[in-house]
Formats: sequence, C-alpha cells, structure tokens
Amino acid sequence: MREITYRQALNEALKEEIERDQTVFLAGEDIAIYGGAYGVTADLWHKYGDDRIKDTPISESAIIGIGIGAAMTGMRPVVEIMYIDFISLGLEQISNQAAKIRYMFGGKSRMPLTIRTEGGAGRSLGAHHSQSLEAWLLHVPGLKVVMPATPYDAKGLLKTSIRDDNPVVFIEHKMLYNTKGPVPEEEYTIPLGAADVKKEGKDVTIITYSRMLIFSLEAAKILEKEGINAEVIDLRTLSPLDMDTITKSIKKTNKVIIVEEDTKTSGTGAELGMKIMEECFDHLDAPVKRIAGADVPMPKSSVLEKLAIPQVDDIVRGAKGIIL
Amino acid sequence: MTKEVIMPKLGETMEEGYIVKWTKNEGDYIKKGEVLFEVMSDKTNFEIESLHNGYLRKILYPPSENAIPVTTVIAYITDKPDEDVKEKSQTIEKETKEITGEIISTESTVIKEPIKDERIKASPVARRLAEEMGIPLSIIHGTGEEGRIEKKDVLAYSETLKSQEKNQQYEVIPWTPFRKIIAEKLTFSKQNIPHYYLSSRFLMDNVTKEKEKKSKEKKITYTDFLIFWTAKTIKDFPLLNASIVNNQIRLYKTIDIGLAIGIEDGLIVPVIRDAENKTIEEISSLREGIINKARDKTLSHEDMGEARFIVSNLGMFGVKNFSAIISPPGVAIMAVGAIEKEPVVKDGNIAVAETMWVTLSLDHRIIDGTYGGKFLQTLKKRFESLKF
Repeated sequence: MREITYRQALNEALKEEIERDQTVFLAGEDIAIYGGAYGVTADLWHKYGDDRIKDTPISESAIIGIGIGAAMTGMRPVVEIMYIDFISLGLEQISNQAAKIRYMFGGKSRMPLTIRTEGGAGRSLGAHHSQSLEAWLLHVPGLKVVMPATPYDAKGLLKTSIRDDNPVVFIEHKMLYNTKGPVPEEEYTIPLGAADVKKEGKDVTIITYSRMLIFSLEAAKILEKEGINAEVIDLRTLSPLDMDTITKSIKKTNKVIIVEEDTKTSGTGAELGMKIMEECFDHLDAPVKRIAGADVPMPKSSVLEKLAIPQVDDIVRGAKGIIL
Repeated sequence: MTKEVIMPKLGETMEEGYIVKWTKNEGDYIKKGEVLFEVMSDKTNFEIESLHNGYLRKILYPPSENAIPVTTVIAYITDKPDEDVKEKSQTIEKETKEITGEIISTESTVIKEPIKDERIKASPVARRLAEEMGIPLSIIHGTGEEGRIEKKDVLAYSETLKSQEKNQQYEVIPWTPFRKIIAEKLTFSKQNIPHYYLSSRFLMDNVTKEKEKKSKEKKITYTDFLIFWTAKTIKDFPLLNASIVNNQIRLYKTIDIGLAIGIEDGLIVPVIRDAENKTIEEISSLREGIINKARDKTLSHEDMGEARFIVSNLGMFGVKNFSAIISPPGVAIMAVGAIEKEPVVKDGNIAVAETMWVTLSLDHRIIDGTYGGKFLQTLKKRFESLKF
C-alpha cells in the first residue's frame, strides 16, 4: 500500500468530501491562499476557489459562529481553529450553542459542524501554542471528540466526522503532520467510537491516543525485548468512548496504564481510570496507572518541554512498575 | 421493602450452619411458608421455609463448604422484583446478635471477629481468583506493591499446590461439612468438658431370658432393654438428663435418649423421645424406625433434636469396653460393649455367665463421682434383676 503523511491524508479527506458534497466548505485563519498554518489545506483554494475555501478574520468566535449558522441552515462546514489553545475564545459558542442546539430544538435542527484544530507540544512553542485541551471538550455533553494518531485513521475519521450530523471537534497533533503511514487509495471511512488495538499483548494494557500512541508503541517494542508483552489500544475517538474494547483487553491483561499528553489533574485519564474502576473493578490486578503531562504551563525550553510531557522511557518505566 | 433472610439458629448449641442448596433462584417469587433453602447443621439437613412473601432478590451465600455463623444475613427478599436491595451494614447484624444474645454464646463472636477485620491487601482480580480456587488469601505471599497479592501470586500458589500434589505420597480428600461439624463438636467437648469414666460389668442372665421370651412376639434387642432401664433410672438421677448452655444447667422435663448410629460418612444421634414413659416394645419400634431412617438418610428435624443422654453400642464389633466422648450440650454418654461369656463369682463359686461392660463418661462440672456411681449401681441392679 502507498504511504503518505498525516497531513496529506487529511488533505485528501477534505478534498474528497468537498467533491462528494456540495454543502461542504472550509473556513479558518490562513487556510485559503496560505494553505493553513500546518499546510493541511494546501492547494485547496486554488482548486475549489473562494466559494468553498474561506479565509476568515482573526476571530475564533466568528469562525465558530459562521460554522454554527451555516450548519443550522443546511451547509456542512469544516472550520479550523489554528491552535487548540485559542479555542477558549470560541468555547462559548461551542459548548452553549453547537453542542446544545440540536437537543434544545427537539431535534428539529441539525448541527453537521466539524471543528478541525491541532494541539500538543513538541515544537518549543511555549505555553500558548502547545496545550492538550481535549478534557475541556469532553466535559461538554453533545460534542464528539476525535483524536487520530495515524494517517490512515486521520483520513477515515475526518471523512466520518464531516458526514456526522452532530458537532465534532477533530483534534490533530502538530507533531504528527509529517509522520507517514499506509493509506489506501480507494474510499474508506472509520466509524466514530471504535477504538483500535494497535498492538496485541497479554501482560498490560496501554490505553492512549494521538501522539502518545507513537510513544506507547515504541515503549511496547522495548518492553517486548524485556519479556513484557503490552497491548496498546488507540482510542481514536474520546467521545464516544469505546469501553467494550477497553474492557475486553483488561479482562485479558488485568493491568492498565493510561498514557496521555494532557495535564494529569482532571485530565482525560482521570475520567478513563474512573470508568475502568466502575466497569472492570473485579478484573484489575493493580491500581490503574496514569502517565500524563505535568501540571504546569508548557515551558518554552525544548529540554523542559520534554520533561513536561510523557516520554518513551516514562512509559517503559511505568509498565515495568506495574508488572514488577 | 427489603427483608433479610438469616442463617437460622436451629438448636441451642448451633453456632454456624452450611448452606446445602437454594430451592429458589434470584428473581423468583416466593410465598411465605415455601421452602427457600436447605441448611446443614448438627449433622443433618433442614429445609428452611420463607418467612416472607416476595422476590428473592439477592443470594449472598451460594451453597459451599464454608460455615456461616447463625444470624448472618444470607439473602434479601423484596416486595417488588426490581427493587433496590438496601444492604444493611455490619452494625445492624451485630445488634441482632446482641438482641438474641441470650441464646447465642458470645464465644464465637469474640474469637472470630479480629480475623474478619484484618483486611489482606489483594488486587480485585486476585481476590476473586483466590475465592474461585478456594485458596485463602492469608496463605498467599503477595509480591505486588507494598506486598499486595496479585493475580500472579495466586496462580503461583496454585501451581505450587499442583506440583506438590504430584510429588507427595498422599492424596488430600475433602473434609466435608458433615465431618467438620463432628470434628468441631468433639474437639470442643474434649477441650472444655472435664470427662471422667465409670465402668461396670452387667450380668445378662435375666435379660437374655426375658429377651428370648419377649422376642417370640416381637424382636427385642439388648439395646432396647438398656434404653428402657436407663430411662427409668435417669428419672431418679435427673442430672444425667441435663445440658449446659450459656452457663446454665438445664434440667429437662422429658427423658430423650440419643442413640449413636454409625453411617457411611460419619455418625448421627437420633433421639427416642420421652423414653421413660414408653414400654420396651414401643422403644424397640421407635429404635428400629430411626435406624432405618438413618440408613436411608431420611431422618427429620424431629428425629434429631438435641440429645442429652446418649447410648453408644459397639458390641456388635466385639468391642469389650470403650470410653465415649460426651456430646455437648449433654453431660453424659454411655458406652456399651459386647455381650460375652465370662467366668464370674457367684455364691463363692466360679461360674460362667453372660456379661456386658458399660462405661459412663460424665461431665465433672456438674456430676460428681458419687452421684454417677450411684446411678450406675442402681442401673446395674435394676437391669440385672429387671425390677425396680
């Protein structure tokens, strides 16, 4: 199978959906002429023009507002928030409007809005451009939260997100855009709410998503050499959450490590760990372990930045600690 | 409304019982008076009827070889099939114990509680696995964090057990609840009751003649004679018909004689009630009845009761004499040996006579040697002469 980058996979998904559905259009800062801060929308403006690809003013509130209005009136907008760090400026409209309109209008209005954004650390961009804020969004009922880690998943999940009649926050990772992976040329989609076992194992379950999947798989390779056979689950979508896959794995391994880049306190892992406790208590052989980001604003220094988010070694050490 | 089903106290000395089976499943509707479960205690099974109408919502103790203390909540019955079960806390259970404390010895609570309270660190899956395998957590060495017992520790222990079983020269057989009850009762007896023994040789000439005479109509055994005369004599020595329960000496208004009967996997003691008011023929019929029932395992709660004075006969095996262990709450047991021809001195001459050795085991806490001796002397006199 051909190999393309995460960036190209996303670009293909957008292209295919724009061609497939006349109501699909993109809006965001610098996405048209410039092709997007990370180049995901490269060449789309040249191909499809102003009607389909719109540059917006620097106003996250306006971008989300345009998306909500268009979605309510029959369009299928894909809007981009350049950095998830800026999403707070549009959060009022996301949480109080996008997430609730379909419910409050008794289902009479649809909200086929996709909000593309990217997050995560790794480029030494400092505290305003490196955060992982998925837990904020997970706390809002009515939102779907998708966080792909591979080019294949990125393309398949973006297509499904665009076609979904509910608001989806699609969070990419800035350190994944250049990663390559197999992506078929033919059409495919991936359902939301289906986790993927990226590596099978029997000794410990590593639950992760987004860039931490790459780290977890590397850690699993090292652990393999030391005789520890880790199973690595890529959640792919945090909401809806695939508890079936998680439960099945825990019944086999009895031990769980959650690897997440976001800050530990009240993070995604806190919710996951609690759900596991509620649903898999009798199958646990050790307390659920979290390997998470430090509870600090992301440092600008690349040395400190590495210390603030989980590294491969941390996962290896964590797994050994839980296996003993 | 949630109603509790408790392990019933079926006898004065019953401290714990074993659940043999549940006759209803969780979710079934049960009417007051219908049989709900079966309990084994004091060597027999009892069917227990429901005290309530309602749905059997939750069974807390499935049938097992684990003893459950009396008054422990073992299930919940609710009015509605989907009602939430309000599980009562331990403290309520304790209160119940205190309320009914009159009939429950405090010993068991004192001894057992500290063990219960000590929580062993074990992961949920290890705990579940150990329970399934019947391995107590207390004997497993935990290698997890802070000594926590993990799944691998349980598996390792079970592997060790298996390999040991392969190498060892013996086989481990199950210690059944039935045998455990016998073991507990007898150990308690030997540890707590100051036994002493009185033996006497009974001359059987008259009894043998009478037995042959009577047996022309209906077969009467030596045991029947013994029960008959023992009951009559106990009437004049009421302490032998006593029991000790909760530091009380209880004297009973009827004389119920227990008969120790060996069965396939143990020993049971059915009772001949009110024996002092029965004819020897009546006693004989009753004895035949309970022996047959014992062999067919159809003895009822009524047949069992709490024997005080017990007769144990091993004569049929040629045993000349032996000393039996008192079965609490009773205070006396009589061990009877084989009938043999022996040289005896009669009127200054040696003669051959049929004899039978009888050995009484008595509880010295309430029966002194003079009292026991007088009883045995009287019994011997009456039995040999067949006269009061």
